Amino acid sequence: MSDHKPTKTAASRPPRAFGWMAEFSDEHKLLEAARKVRDSGYTDTDAFTPFPVHGIDEALGIKPTVLPFIVLCCGLTGLSLALLMQWWMNGVDYRYIISGKPFGISPAAIPVAFEMTILFSAFSTFLGMIALNNLPKFSNPVFTNPKFDRATNDKFFLYVSASDKYYNRDSVRELLGGTHPDSLDEVIEDSSPANLPRPIWLGTLLLVLAGLIPAMIILNMRAGYSTKPRFHVFFDMDFQPKKKAQQTTTIFEDGRTMRPQVSGTVARGQLDEQDPFYLGYDPAKLVASPTPGSVKYVAAQAQDSKPADGAAAAPAAGTGPNLPWISELPIEATEAHMQLGEVKFRTYCAPCHGYGGQGDGLVHKRAEAVGGGYWLPPTSMHIDRVRSQPVGQIFHTITKGQGKMPSYASSITAKERWAIVLYVKALQKSRNASVEDIPVDKRKLLEEPTNNPK
Amino acid sequence: MATTASVKTQYNPREIDNTNDTPGRRAPLITGNQTYSSITEMVCRVAEDPQPTLWYVLFGLSSVTAVMFLSLIGYLIFTGVGIWGNMNPVFWAWPIVNFVFWVGIGHAGTLISAILFLFRQNWRTSINRAAEAMTIFAVICAAIYPGIHVGRAWLAFWLLPYPSLNLWMWPQFRSPLLWDVFAVGTYASTSLVFWYMGMIPDLATYRDRSKSPLRRAIYSFLCLGWTGSSRHWLRYEKAYTLLAALATPLVLSVHTVVSFDFAVSQVAGWHTTIFPPYFVAGAIFSGFAMVVTLLVPVRAIYKLENLITLRHLDNMNKIILATGSLVGLAYGTEFFIAWYSKNQYEGFTFLNRAFGPYWWAYWTMVSCNVISPQLFWFKKLRTSPFWMVVISIFVNIGMWFERFVITVTSLSRDFLPSSWGYFRPTMFDGLMFFGSFGVFLSLFLLFCRYLPTIAMSEVKGVMSSSAHSEHMQAALVGGHDPSHGHGSSHDHH
Repeated sequence: MSDHKPTKTAASRPPRAFGWMAEFSDEHKLLEAARKVRDSGYTDTDAFTPFPVHGIDEALGIKPTVLPFIVLCCGLTGLSLALLMQWWMNGVDYRYIISGKPFGISPAAIPVAFEMTILFSAFSTFLGMIALNNLPKFSNPVFTNPKFDRATNDKFFLYVSASDKYYNRDSVRELLGGTHPDSLDEVIEDSSPANLPRPIWLGTLLLVLAGLIPAMIILNMRAGYSTKPRFHVFFDMDFQPKKKAQQTTTIFEDGRTMRPQVSGTVARGQLDEQDPFYLGYDPAKLVASPTPGSVKYVAAQAQDSKPADGAAAAPAAGTGPNLPWISELPIEATEAHMQLGEVKFRTYCAPCHGYGGQGDGLVHKRAEAVGGGYWLPPTSMHIDRVRSQPVGQIFHTITKGQGKMPSYASSITAKERWAIVLYVKALQKSRNASVEDIPVDKRKLLEEPTNNPK
Repeated sequence: MATTASVKTQYNPREIDNTNDTPGRRAPLITGNQTYSSITEMVCRVAEDPQPTLWYVLFGLSSVTAVMFLSLIGYLIFTGVGIWGNMNPVFWAWPIVNFVFWVGIGHAGTLISAILFLFRQNWRTSINRAAEAMTIFAVICAAIYPGIHVGRAWLAFWLLPYPSLNLWMWPQFRSPLLWDVFAVGTYASTSLVFWYMGMIPDLATYRDRSKSPLRRAIYSFLCLGWTGSSRHWLRYEKAYTLLAALATPLVLSVHTVVSFDFAVSQVAGWHTTIFPPYFVAGAIFSGFAMVVTLLVPVRAIYKLENLITLRHLDNMNKIILATGSLVGLAYGTEFFIAWYSKNQYEGFTFLNRAFGPYWWAYWTMVSCNVISPQLFWFKKLRTSPFWMVVISIFVNIGMWFERFVITVTSLSRDFLPSSWGYFRPTMFDGLMFFGSFGVFLSLFLLFCRYLPTIAMSEVKGVMSSSAHSEHMQAALVGGHDPSHGHGSSHDHH
């Protein structure tokens, strides 16, 4: 850390010498001198030139470089990685189905494989050159001589290192002196302070620390458990200029976002809301025998927006048992409807209610096993409360759902729902039938035990 | 070159005509009896002397334009791509046109550095550095457009294959658009490495000439402590040759892949096998034109006429002439195939290009790209700095229109006449194209001011070897002593 340390060592002993450096003014004199030095047996030598002098490697006895082999290996690595990446990403892990073309490696993999080969080769060429040359190296004894500044300009230097096994200070000096250099100097140790000045250290440290702040903020946001909304750099579609139901607005005079129906228009599906076929009860009789809730609702609607007709009088889902349920099936009780009802019942209802409607479906059994006491079993269709319900009410339950059961209106059409009601009624009857319910000509089948269909 | 050196033009003593070939004698690559140190002096002066007033004027204008461009990008990101004129049926409009335009320009640098290096074209040494810098800056400009065209620019990194926790999916490797990501990415990074590696010895020269400690420290850091050791040079030259050999197929592949963006689709006028060579020729054409546009003022402002000689410019203009003729041939071939294929959509597309609602764009393209470079058959124009700049600017206007014609005419009238439309750009299209020139020029001006504009070490190397070969030649012919009179006292006998 101290700036004085190197100076002290420099003062306590003479600076270390690294060898001799001869300066020449043109490359031919350098080549001549280099050959002479090589022929004298020195191997730890080097030349410093402003451009690559041709023939210097032979004159100094420099061996060829292994760089091309490094590049070849890295290029092949890039190629294999590219093929492996495309095969795995598009052939195994995430397959795109495009015009029935084969997955994995196909001619379409060539461009990326080619580019990756070049990319890996190019970077290994550069980094390999840097690494083999031991760069970056900022502290170098050759820089101590101010004359050396011209090694990158117009002068040529020949260097014999003190670490050569035949090195002898005086004989090398004599040898180099004999090549008629422009100057001949000993390369000495760099005595300038080796440590960075304190302000630069502190400045760098501060910069690094400041640079960490954004990364820390992001990490904190990603890893934290804050319940506050995330910090939005880009809004994506999280904030949109729109209104949701029940919100207020300044656009309309009445301040409501939800708009009443325009008079004289009929919305899609609106007419279904008056049809017993879609409701399970008769809306015409609703006003005649009102429930307390429906009266209030109708009154509020009429006062507020003066609807075009009485359509808005529809009650909310599951409005108790007092609705004017229809008790006659609106579809005919034919064999075809019965079979349709069976199929739909087995598809949509049986998972919970069971094939027999006893509330013992697979979902129930599994929930009992897993959930234990918290599970509320599905209703059996054979209890008195359900058996006494009119067909309209069973239809309404399927349409709107009840308790934990969701609405099936979007999954099953109204006709299919009525078919299910027909099937449910048949199921109920099958558990509470007497011999009198069977047509006379079929009663004999009961007495043949082997021919019993169920 | 005593004969040519004594010819004095009245307006500029440095402007020596070295474009004449004398049989049996190699024309000098640089003029004015240069020595190694005079080359160093000439190049380093560009960065060491105070910049001329013109530099400040140009940098002021271009940096203001660049800032405008960056602010418009900000506006685009916060508003959306709707500020552009891209509208059904032309969703690929100016952004892709500008992208292809800039990528094309970015081909000249690596071509000069790599292909001309492999062909041992020594004249490349005076111009390769500036051309490579131009390449990098053009590719930067190019890469901006697809990045901001994706709509949600902050998610542009989704283009890369990385294990995403949001998407749980990988890119589609059979799409040319993804090949583009790899091709342009590889090209940008490899060009950067090539450029930087080439600069290391010259940065060391800058370091060794620096007077202020701060400047010395910065250049010292940038040149990684380069000493010019022969062992280092050996590996450096090997690395340079390898990079050139790698960059040569790369530079040809990049515009090939860019052309696949069009050619792999099935739109009439795009779906042609001629596209890869046609695009590569066009890229070299526009790139060389941009190099000429930039270097002629640079050599005049920084008095580099002895290094970037008329012969260099003449050679570049010949390449412009050759590639311009290739591009013209490609236009003709497209028409021929449209007729010869008897494909009604193809035939319609090309008639529509020439005589449809975009006829003005088509004929601008033809007159700039096919007709204007033909003027370079005249040596007077080929060696006149003023006229070559004029023609090279026309070439680049034409090349922008070429990409416009290809992109917009094919999209605006495709197979279904009911979905035809006419593309109208908005003010933002224009400003954001203009603004990219601000980025490009600002970077180039900064490059001239702070980095070595000419590859000094390469020029010196070529000087040394050509002097040597001339001496050998002279020795063979006239018994001249080859070991005499080399080096710093060197002149071109």
